[in-house]
Parts: sequence; C-alpha cells; structure tokens
Amino acid sequence: MGRPLRISFALGALAVHLACAAEPVRFSETILPLLSDRCFHCHGPDEAERQAGLRLDVEAEAKRSRESGQAIVPGHPEKSTAWQRIVSTDPNEVMPPPDAHRQAFTNEERELLKRWIAEGAVWGKHWAFEKPRKVALPGGAAHPVDAFVRDRLVQVGRVPAESASAHTQLRRVSFGLTGLPPSPEDVAAFEAEPSDANWQRIVNRLLESPHYGERMAMWWLDAARYSDTDGYQQDAERTNWPWRDWVIDAFNANMGFDQFTIEQFAGDLLPEATPEQVLATCFHRNHMANGEGGRLPEESRIDYVIDRVNTVGTVWLGLTLGCTQCHSHKFDPISQEEYYQLFAFFDSIDEDGKAGGNAKPFMHYQSPKAARAVEEMRAYVEKWKPREGAAREAAEGRFEKRLATRLETLTEDYRAWRAVAPHAMVSAEGTAFLLEEDGSVQTHGAYPRQDDYRITFRMPPGMDRLTGWQLEVLPHASHTDGRWSRGRAGDFILTNVKLLMRRKGESQVTELALTSAVATHEKGAKGRNYGNVKDTLDDDPRNGWTADGIGGQAVRAVFALAEPHSVSTDEEYTVVLLHRSTQGDANIGRLRLSVTDERGETITSTARAPWELAAGQSVEGLDPALRERLRQQALLDDDTYQKVRAHYEEAKRQLKECEDHAKERRVMVLQEREDSRQSHILLRGVWDAKGEVVERGVLPAVLKWPEEQTQTREDLARWLVDPDNPLTARVVVNHLWQLLFGAGLVRTPEDFGLQGERPTHPRLLDWLAVELVEHDWDLKHLLRVIVTSETYRQSSLLSADLLETDPENRLLARAPRFRLPAWMIRDHALAASGLLNPAVGGPPVKPWQPVGVWQEIFMGRFTYRPSVGPAQYRRTVYAYWRRSSAPTFLFDSAQRRVCEVGARRTNTPLHALTLLNDTTMFEASRHLALRAIQDMPENERVEGLVNRVLSRAPSEEETALLERELARNREYYHKHPSEATQYVNQTWLETTVPATELASYTLLASMVLNLDEAMTHE
Amino acid sequence: MNDTTVTPLSRRLFLQQAGLNLGAIALADLLALESAGGKPLEGALAHVAPKAKRVIFLTQSGGPSQLELFDHKPGLRQWAGKELPASVRQGQRLTTMTANQKQLILPGITQFHQHGASGATVSEWLPHTAAIADELCFVKSMVTDQINHAPAMTKFLTGHQLPGRPSFGAWASYGLGSPNHNLPDYLVLISRMKRPSDQPLYDHYWGSGFLPSRYQGVKLRNAKDPVLYLRDPDGLPRELRRGMLDGLRALNAHHLEVTHDPEIATRIQQYEMAFRMQTSIPELNDMRDEPESVFERYGPDSRRPGSYAANCILARRLAERGVRFIQLFHPDWDHHSRLPSWCTARCRDTDQPSAALIRDLKERGLLEDTLVIWGGEFGRGVAGQGKWDSPEAGRDHHPRCFTIWMAGGGVKPGITYGETDAFSYNVAANPVHVRDLHATALSLLGMDHERFTHRFQGLDFKLTGVEPSRVVHEILA
Repeated sequence: MGRPLRISFALGALAVHLACAAEPVRFSETILPLLSDRCFHCHGPDEAERQAGLRLDVEAEAKRSRESGQAIVPGHPEKSTAWQRIVSTDPNEVMPPPDAHRQAFTNEERELLKRWIAEGAVWGKHWAFEKPRKVALPGGAAHPVDAFVRDRLVQVGRVPAESASAHTQLRRVSFGLTGLPPSPEDVAAFEAEPSDANWQRIVNRLLESPHYGERMAMWWLDAARYSDTDGYQQDAERTNWPWRDWVIDAFNANMGFDQFTIEQFAGDLLPEATPEQVLATCFHRNHMANGEGGRLPEESRIDYVIDRVNTVGTVWLGLTLGCTQCHSHKFDPISQEEYYQLFAFFDSIDEDGKAGGNAKPFMHYQSPKAARAVEEMRAYVEKWKPREGAAREAAEGRFEKRLATRLETLTEDYRAWRAVAPHAMVSAEGTAFLLEEDGSVQTHGAYPRQDDYRITFRMPPGMDRLTGWQLEVLPHASHTDGRWSRGRAGDFILTNVKLLMRRKGESQVTELALTSAVATHEKGAKGRNYGNVKDTLDDDPRNGWTADGIGGQAVRAVFALAEPHSVSTDEEYTVVLLHRSTQGDANIGRLRLSVTDERGETITSTARAPWELAAGQSVEGLDPALRERLRQQALLDDDTYQKVRAHYEEAKRQLKECEDHAKERRVMVLQEREDSRQSHILLRGVWDAKGEVVERGVLPAVLKWPEEQTQTREDLARWLVDPDNPLTARVVVNHLWQLLFGAGLVRTPEDFGLQGERPTHPRLLDWLAVELVEHDWDLKHLLRVIVTSETYRQSSLLSADLLETDPENRLLARAPRFRLPAWMIRDHALAASGLLNPAVGGPPVKPWQPVGVWQEIFMGRFTYRPSVGPAQYRRTVYAYWRRSSAPTFLFDSAQRRVCEVGARRTNTPLHALTLLNDTTMFEASRHLALRAIQDMPENERVEGLVNRVLSRAPSEEETALLERELARNREYYHKHPSEATQYVNQTWLETTVPATELASYTLLASMVLNLDEAMTHE
Repeated sequence: MNDTTVTPLSRRLFLQQAGLNLGAIALADLLALESAGGKPLEGALAHVAPKAKRVIFLTQSGGPSQLELFDHKPGLRQWAGKELPASVRQGQRLTTMTANQKQLILPGITQFHQHGASGATVSEWLPHTAAIADELCFVKSMVTDQINHAPAMTKFLTGHQLPGRPSFGAWASYGLGSPNHNLPDYLVLISRMKRPSDQPLYDHYWGSGFLPSRYQGVKLRNAKDPVLYLRDPDGLPRELRRGMLDGLRALNAHHLEVTHDPEIATRIQQYEMAFRMQTSIPELNDMRDEPESVFERYGPDSRRPGSYAANCILARRLAERGVRFIQLFHPDWDHHSRLPSWCTARCRDTDQPSAALIRDLKERGLLEDTLVIWGGEFGRGVAGQGKWDSPEAGRDHHPRCFTIWMAGGGVKPGITYGETDAFSYNVAANPVHVRDLHATALSLLGMDHERFTHRFQGLDFKLTGVEPSRVVHEILA
C-alpha cells in the first residue's frame, strides 16, 4: 500500500542527497530556489508587493546594513536578521509568516541556509541566466550524451540499461523522427544487421524523409497555437494553412533555427522578402481572434499583442512572462516596464483588433500545394460518376416496375394526406377544445393571451411509416371577423411546433426531427419577425408563422420529417403548437391535422401530390411532366440510390472546396503600420489603463543589448538567437529532448525561471545548447547527436528497484516508456494498416469524428463533413482544427488556444473508448484484416497482422491466444452473419471477402491496435 | 517522513506537490490504490467540516434579467423613459451594442409578489420557483467584472476570464475524489435547443485546465452516443466486446510482466472502467424505472430527452449515484429584445423543473448534502435596449449586479442576501463577487480556498485567483 508514497518521498531524498554532498552549498542550485519559493513573493523583484523595503533577490540589497539590521551577514548566520526571523518561534516574527500561505522551511532547508551563510553567503545568478558553456566531457564514454548521463549514474552507483532490442530501437527512432512506425521490411533489415553504421544510415534516412517535417510541425503547431478558425463566439474560418506548409518545408529543408526564428518574426521586414518569408510571419497571427458582437476591437487588439509576447516568452525564452502583464515578476528579474517594452515590438502591426474576414493585415498567397489535392479529389469524383449513374439507372428500373403496379391499384379517390382523429387535446393556459367529425378541432371557452396546444393522436390504420404532417388553420364563424382566431383582428401567430412520439409503457417521448416547413400562405418577414413558417422549427418565440394580411380562407402548412419514421401500433403522436408571440392574442381558433407516408415534393411543397394526380390513369396515358414528377419522387425515396448519390455529391462539394483553396487566398501575416503606435505600460494589465510610455526594448536580465539594436521585430528575433542569449538554445534543445524522451531535461519546458524545475542533467543541457549554436542552429544535427547515443538506444524495461527509486526517470538509467501522443496513435494506425495517404501539404482535411459534435456546440451553425476518398487518410497534422471544438479523436492534446509546449499524458476510460470505437481506428482495423486475408496464407495471417502493428512477431503464447480470439470471433459471426455485415459496413466498403471472415479479423486487428505496446514509445 | 503511511489527508498534499510533473504513473497508481482499498474519501480531504458532498450547478447561460425575475424595484416606475443618472452609472462600460445610445430606464415589466414564510420577492414569470422560496437563498448582490459572454462565463466557471484555468467542477472533483467507480466525477448536461445559439458552450467551461484531465467534465450528449465513442458499433455485441477486452487484458498483463511498467496496469483498469461506463451511462438515461409522478412533477417537457427538464431528472439520478459535480447548461438567456416572449420562453423551460428538482432532492434526503446553484454569468441593465416603451424592448449585459439562488448543502434556506440600489445597477449592501461565491461553495465542500492550490508554471493557483475573496458566512446554515 505504501509504494506510491515512497516514490514521492524518494524524489525528495534524491534532491537532498545531491545537496548534502561534501562540497559547499551552491547558491544557484540550492539557495536561490528556496529564497525564490519562500521569500521573493514579498522580498523580490515586484515593488508593489515588497515588504519592509527589503529585497533578497539582489545581493547588495540582501547584504546592506539597514536600521533593522542586515538580512544576510556573510559568515555569520546568527547576526543575519533573515536567519533570525526564519528560526524565530514567535508567530509574529517567523518567516515566512504563517498567514502568507507559503510552506515553512523544513529543518533540512534551514540547515542548508545556515551552512550557506556560514560558508560566506556566496551569491550567483539563476542557472538559466548564465550563458551555457561546454565543459570537458567526463571520462568513460565516447558519446557526449552518454558521458554526462553516465557520470551522473556513477555518482549514484548505477549503470545504464542494456541496449533495447533492434525492433524496439527502430520503432522508437521512427516515431521520434517521423511520427510513423517503421515498415516490416525495415525492421527485418535492421534486425539482420544491427550495426552502428546501419543505425546511422537509418537515422539519416529518417531525417531526410518528408515525414520528418510533418512530425516536427506537430510540435511547432502546438507551440504556435495554430488553428483553422478564430476561436471565440464567431469562430470564423481563416486560411492560414499555407503557413503550416511553410513550417513543414522549413523543417524538411533543415532551415537553421535562427533563420526560422527571424523569418517568423520579421520575414516582412527582410530586404527583398520573398512571399514565403512574408508568409512565415503568420506565426504571430495564429492567436485567437474575437468577433463577438459587443466586443471593443481595440481591447481585442491588445489581447493579441499580449498573446504574442507571452508566446515569445514561453516558446523561445522559457519564461512565464504572462505574470508581468499585470505586475513585475514575483520571482524572475523582469519588470512590468520591460514586459511592455517587448509588447511595443508587436504593438504597431497594421491591425485593428477585428476578426474573420476583417482581420487585416493579409497577404495574397496562392499555395503550390493545393493542386495535388484538387487532382486527387477530381479523380475521386470521376471514379464515382459512373457509380452514381449506374445506381440511378437501377433506381429508375425499380421505379418503372413500381409505376405500373401502383397505377393498377390506386383508385381515383387516393389522397396522399390522411386526417387524424386526436384522442387528447390539452392546453397549457386553459383553452377548451371540441373535436368535430371531419377531424377538425374547434377551440372555445377561455381565451388566454398566449397558449400551447398539445394534440395527441394515433396513426390511421395502414400507415406503416410517417414522413410528414400537415396543419390546416381553418376559419370559423365564432372567430373574430370569421377569420382564424378569436384574437385581435382574427389573426394567428404560431411561434413553434414540435412532433413527439411516445411508445406505450414508456414515460419518455422521442422528438421526431423536422427539417422543413412550407405553407400555402405566409406573411413573409425579414429578419426576426412573424411571418415565415420555417421559423416555427427553432426554439425562438420571436419569430414564427402568420398569414396576417390575407383574407380568412383556410391555410395550410406542411412539415417534413428529417427521416421517415417507421410506425408501430403501440405508438402515439403529439403535435405541440406554441403561440408565444411577443404581442400574443393570436392563438389558432380551428385546426385539422393530417399525415402522409410519401416523400419528395409531397412534404416539401403545398402543391397537390403527384400520386393523387396520377391515380386512375394508365401508364401509357400519363402526362410526361407528371411522370417526371413521379420519377423524381421515387428517386428521392430510393435509399440505395440516395446513399450513392449523397457520397457523389459530397465528393463534388469537396472538390469545389479544394479548387477554392487552390486559388489565391488571404493569409494573415505581419505588416507594420506607417506610423507607429505609442506603447504604454498597461496598469494591472488592463487594456485601456495606460501608464507610462515605453519604447521597444529587450530583457536586460537575459541579455543586455544596445538600444540601436532593439528597434524592429527583426532586432528582437536576432536578440533571441544571439549566441550570447542564455535561454533560447537551452529551451529549444529541451524541446527536442522532450520530443525524443517524452520529457525534457528541464521538466518544466515552459518555465526556466526560478519557479521552474532545474535540469536533471545541467551540463548535458548546456553542452547540447552550445553544440546547437556552434552548428548554426542545425536541428537535424542535434537530433542526430541525441539518437545516436546509447542512452537513447538503451532498453526501457523497468525494474522494481528503478521504479521505486527513480519512477520519473530523472537519472536516465533506462529509456523512457510512454504512451504516444494521440495524433501519433492515429497516424500509426493508418500507416500500419496501409491506409495512410502520405501526401505532404495542402488544404486541411477532415478525419472521421462523431456526427453532431460541431452542431451541438454551435446549435447547428457549423456542420462537420468528414473528408471522402483518399483525403480521409492523410496525416493528423493536416486535420482541420476548429478552435472551439478541437478534433475529438485527439486526447491529451494541446488546445491551440494559447501556446503550449508541455506534454500532457493521462490515462482515462475516455481514451480507451476513443481507441475502441473511433471510426479511423475501425477502418484501420478493417484494412489490416483485409490485407491479412488477401495477402497472406491463412496460417500466417495472425503473425503478419501482429507484425504490421508491433513491428515484431508474436510469441507462441501470444499467437495461441490470438488464434483463440479469432476462433471465438468466427464462431460468433458464422452464427450471426447479418451482424458481421453490419459491423464491417460502418463505412463504405467494396470487397469480395466474406463479411463473416472480415468481421472476425477486423475485431482481432482492433484488439491488436488497442494493445498497450501498440500505442507506446518503448 | 519515509514512514508516513497513506492517509487521505496526505493524498491531497501529495497531489499538490506532485502536480502534473509526477505524471500518470504514481498518480494513477495511487488512485487505483484508493479504489482497491474501497475507503470512502468523503470529507477526508477536508480543511473544514464539509456540509455538501456534491454540487448541482444549474447554469443559465446568457445572463438572466434580475430586473424581471428577482430584483423588484417598484420605485423605478417614476423613472420610466428617463435617462439613467450619471451618478448611478459611474462610468460603467457598455457593450458596443448600446454604448452610443441614450440609457433610458425600462422598469421591470413583471409583477412581483412575496412568497412563503420568508417573504422572498419572486416574479410572476417563475411561479414554481416562487412556491419553493422558503428552500432558497437568494443572493441579489452578485458582482462580476466581465461584460461580454465568453469572458464572463469563463470567469463565472473558472475564476478567470481567459480560457485555460480549471473549472469549478474540476477543482471540486479534484478535491473530493470519487465514490463511484462506474461514472466520471463531473458530468455536464446541456439542454437541447434548436435555435442557433449566439453563445457557444465551449468545453473549457468544464475543462480541467492544468489539472489532470481525469477531472474535466464529461459532457453527456443527447445523442446516440451520450459520451463520445461510448457505443460499440452495430454488429459488435456485448459478449464479443467482453471477450475482446479479456483477450486484451491477458496480452497487456503479459506485457506488464515483461516491462514492469505500472502504466499498463492503469491502462487495463481504464479499459475495464470504459466497459462499465458502456453499461452505467445508458442505464442512467433509461428512465423506465421512474414513475409517472416524477414526469408530472417536472412538467411535460421532462418526457423529452435532452430538454432542461429531462436533464433535471437526470441530475437527480446522478446525485443518487454519487457523482460529485453535475452541471446543467440552459442556453439562450441573452435577451436583448422582446422580453415578454423571449424571456418568458426560457422561464417556462426552466422554472418548473428547477423547483421540482429541489423538492425531489429534499424528499429523497439528498438536498441536505447537495449544494444547488442557479445562475448565469451576469445580469442585465436597467436601461431598455431598443425602444424602451415597446414590447420589443430588451436589456443589454450588466456585470455590476445580478441575482443567483442557492439551496441545500449547508446554505441557509429562506433568506435573501445582499441589496442593490434603487436602479438595480450597483450593489448597495453585502456584495458577493464571483470569487466569493467560489470561496463559499468550496468551503461548503470542506475546502479552504486559500489552501486548496495547485502548482503550475511555478505558481500556486487557486480557483479564487489572486484578488482577495471571502467565504460569505452570513448565508451558511
């Protein structure tokens, strides 16, 4: 029971162990973090919070003699007032004060402070603000990474792990550098000869793969909060995907990180800037944009500028600059003024805080990457064109047959609409009803200002489906002026309708969705007003149907169901009619309801139904125009044909969309205003609380730069990537390490400041940072250095001992074992199954996502239409990203609202459900099954399938279990072949493989894809 | 310290210290440990004695009008159509919708009566709420500092106007732990409406921010899949799914023996929990075991799945099953025009079921340890929007005062707390800022908002943020 707790305290013990070494207590490692955590809040950089005028973050101040004494007297803890206050037992004296809600110093911590003062209170800088230096490699290992890691291991008496197996190494490096698994052939080749030379070759090949850029882009897109929409209430679409392709290209071309930075900050300012350099600046436009009505654009603009500063802080500097928006940093040496000096760099963009199509500045850019997508979609449309034709012909054949038989049976008195006889009529506010013989319902008695009617009926005999219903509003002598109601002027206003179905014995009802409403007469209204009958379908009482202005004849409205409803005899139906208009006094006086089972124009128009007109005629005598109407109606009602047609129409629609993307589009970029805005400190961070004027400037605590070099965005970028900047290279190296190891050398990648964690291997981090700068910011070089180390290639197997003493793998005595990011799990499934479309770049695509997700959030304003054809199987980096509804199949992913650089990794039942039931995972399983059945002899299928997913053959034991699974699946599906057909036909499928067999293997494949090993970086 | 045994109290400390950095390994293990131990966590994490074990938050999105519903200002009649005095407005910012218009006063258009022994004033538009006034605590002096929907709702639900902080529900389920092993701790129910909404309900409203994602609210959808991906596909029957999961477990267990990675044990458990949810969630939605009288009490709309009324019944069912935080959202309270038809429509949707829920909880003995909160992100201004004297008039957003009500879970019943000025414009007495509401609600759950923190990016975050906030002791029973 105690195990996990021992884990947590073991961590503490580790830290203490390091600090307790015989050498002197080191300020930056040991003392500064303590002072920062317990003291700086009130005695640190933030003037506003400073107590007693004392600051402990500056050496001279801490050691200055003051009236109240000297806080720190080197060599003399007992004379140091800080020490006295820390050990005081008086609750009014002791530091930190009990009411400050900061943790008290432990005895061990006090001991360390005391020793440090006694040893002379030697001061220093926070480690991350010191320029990194390469120190001599500790002996014993040829590879720099291994040298530093082993040096640390030796100190704690440990040895590194064995090398991982060849297939594990290969999977690891393939995921790490491309986000995709190795092919079974690659695995076999490396297993045959797992030499270092071969490893080098593989690494080089992966780094040269176009998928390298895609993998790296996924990191950068999260950091850049890239999205295809604005976010917020309007969440309008933007066309910034050409920038996403710029990122992929830049990584693939191995652009140095310095140039990568400069172009994204200031591509527009470079001499003779290419269109791509201007495009690069979209980085700083990827923030959210607020188009909410009632929002002040200037307030939004300030938000955007702030977002840019915070993003620079997190992504390049690893500093939580956001804190300084409202006040000077409480821990790190950054003032509020300095924050707004950075702000000033981004304050004069030629933007005005608007969103959507008004989010200037834009560049006009035609992407060369869209043409491929257009070609692909055009080919797909062409492929479906004959299918649609054939399906239509078949449907027409069915119509011809039915036409003859139906005309023989229809008598002249055939009516498409049949009146119903309600058995219950209820009013919410007191209206009384009288049912008449022809099915009409007459109101009488009380006349409330507003009312809801609920009219309940059963289906007339012989109706086996319901497709639409009709409301007749009838005049009557008892009404005002003999018109439709007893209200003012005899008018009616129907605000909303609903159709509910209740099955006998059930207390709940089902609402049958209505898609359209038409009427013989309507007033017609613009905007939100009473008139149009279609407005009865929303839940808004401010609009609705009225025939006001028309004489008092009978009027009709026809309502179409979204889907035909199969009628069963134990059902009853309720039509709800709401009269809840603003003025009221317009409740329908007399009405009749009828129902139909016809589709097509019968329920979408008020004209007489074609079958009524045709009844009694012969096939030969039929008017051609009427025959055409009958044909159209029949085609609409032919589900087999409609399914094909819908797919074809969707393909055409998506082709059109691709073609639009291939034209010149407007991409959001940076562009400077002609006259700069004057920037101010914003008091408390409030957008219109302008304080002192500030000029552009960089953070002196990080790296001082002369004023003439801090004038433009380009200057800022060059400052970030200056070899003397102590932060950028470390932060970038840490990101790269995190991509490969699942966690950085600094475990708080977003915070290298005093409150962040210290690196697990400080000298290694510094060595790599310097190496990066020395190699002209060559990212591929740095990745190559890391993945060729034995540390990277060692086994990830855990021992009970390691789990207990180093559960977080801070020592790197083993390789990390962690679940792949959700996007990589999807890409892996597509690649392993052979479904992956490896095309690079182009307009966004829409992977499968459950129906209705967008509609729910926006109450129908946006509808997600999954991509058809090969576009469905593109890598996740191309998946359309709606900011307010991130792709549902990506769990633990960055949200792309603000920049994110950390890795989230949790383990919940919702993730399990996603991987079990997501349509992409299903299609991958089905495709794996298909290929196993089609490409392999029966006795090799299980092994082949496992090999494709896990890059290894199953053990005998595993094979036995998998064979049992398969046998069980087969037994079930052979007994239930229709279920097999249902299971494999969730999405479009064309195959000659029998459904029972395919279903059995599909379920098996789904199990293999859900194995922990399949989704884990081992 | 190494000898410390696991106590629930140390768990909270542990979670706090570990934060996200400890990763899933130990955290998940620890949680697994708790479920294996089967010890109730209730109250064990408490800083103060808890009064409530769970919360039902009836979120009215859009900003219901306190002037029409609760905050009776008979004196306004003499001000009808006159301009709002600058001394009252005190430079209050307006949205760009009305910023350039004259602020002409529109007195509340409803009739008010006093109700129950407590004599609370409730409008004629909420007759059912009025009938249970003696169970409710009305807070008429709520204050926020955001004037647009998304920032105001984000503030109301996460304590900060920018997205990214953990929601109140996430904090609560983080602090309380779960007594139910078949359902998530925090569930979200959204009324099904047809009208295209002007205010999308973003998932960050129930997000976990920087807390582990297991504390985020899970949206129960009114769809074939009440939880995304919950339903197995057609043609994959339960028995085959069970068999497949057994096989998966066996293979994963085998791999656990090889790798010793406890994360695999967690994954096995999560797949089992997923399987249980596939039963427990549809069972929740299947209301055949509810007698007719329940539907009669909650009103005719309660028979329609997805309606606010049906969600109120569902909320009670979730409370019975030990779910910690149940949050309903009813959209479309943003009544810039036509109060007589628009606002009344939303009142009819919510009035009877909200009141029925309180009565139902009380009869079942659940109200005493369930904190119920009814309210929206802000109130509405006293000036009419549009032509003030026409039935077409509505009201613009107003952050400086609004009314909410609370019930159960240690809240004093039958009281009204706080007052606004004669214009229902500024708080005149006992202001309750949104963060005070958070502090109070946490306190009812047994948590001291000052001490209930989570370290992220080097800072200790708390729901109530950095501004001073207080527990409103005056409304505690």
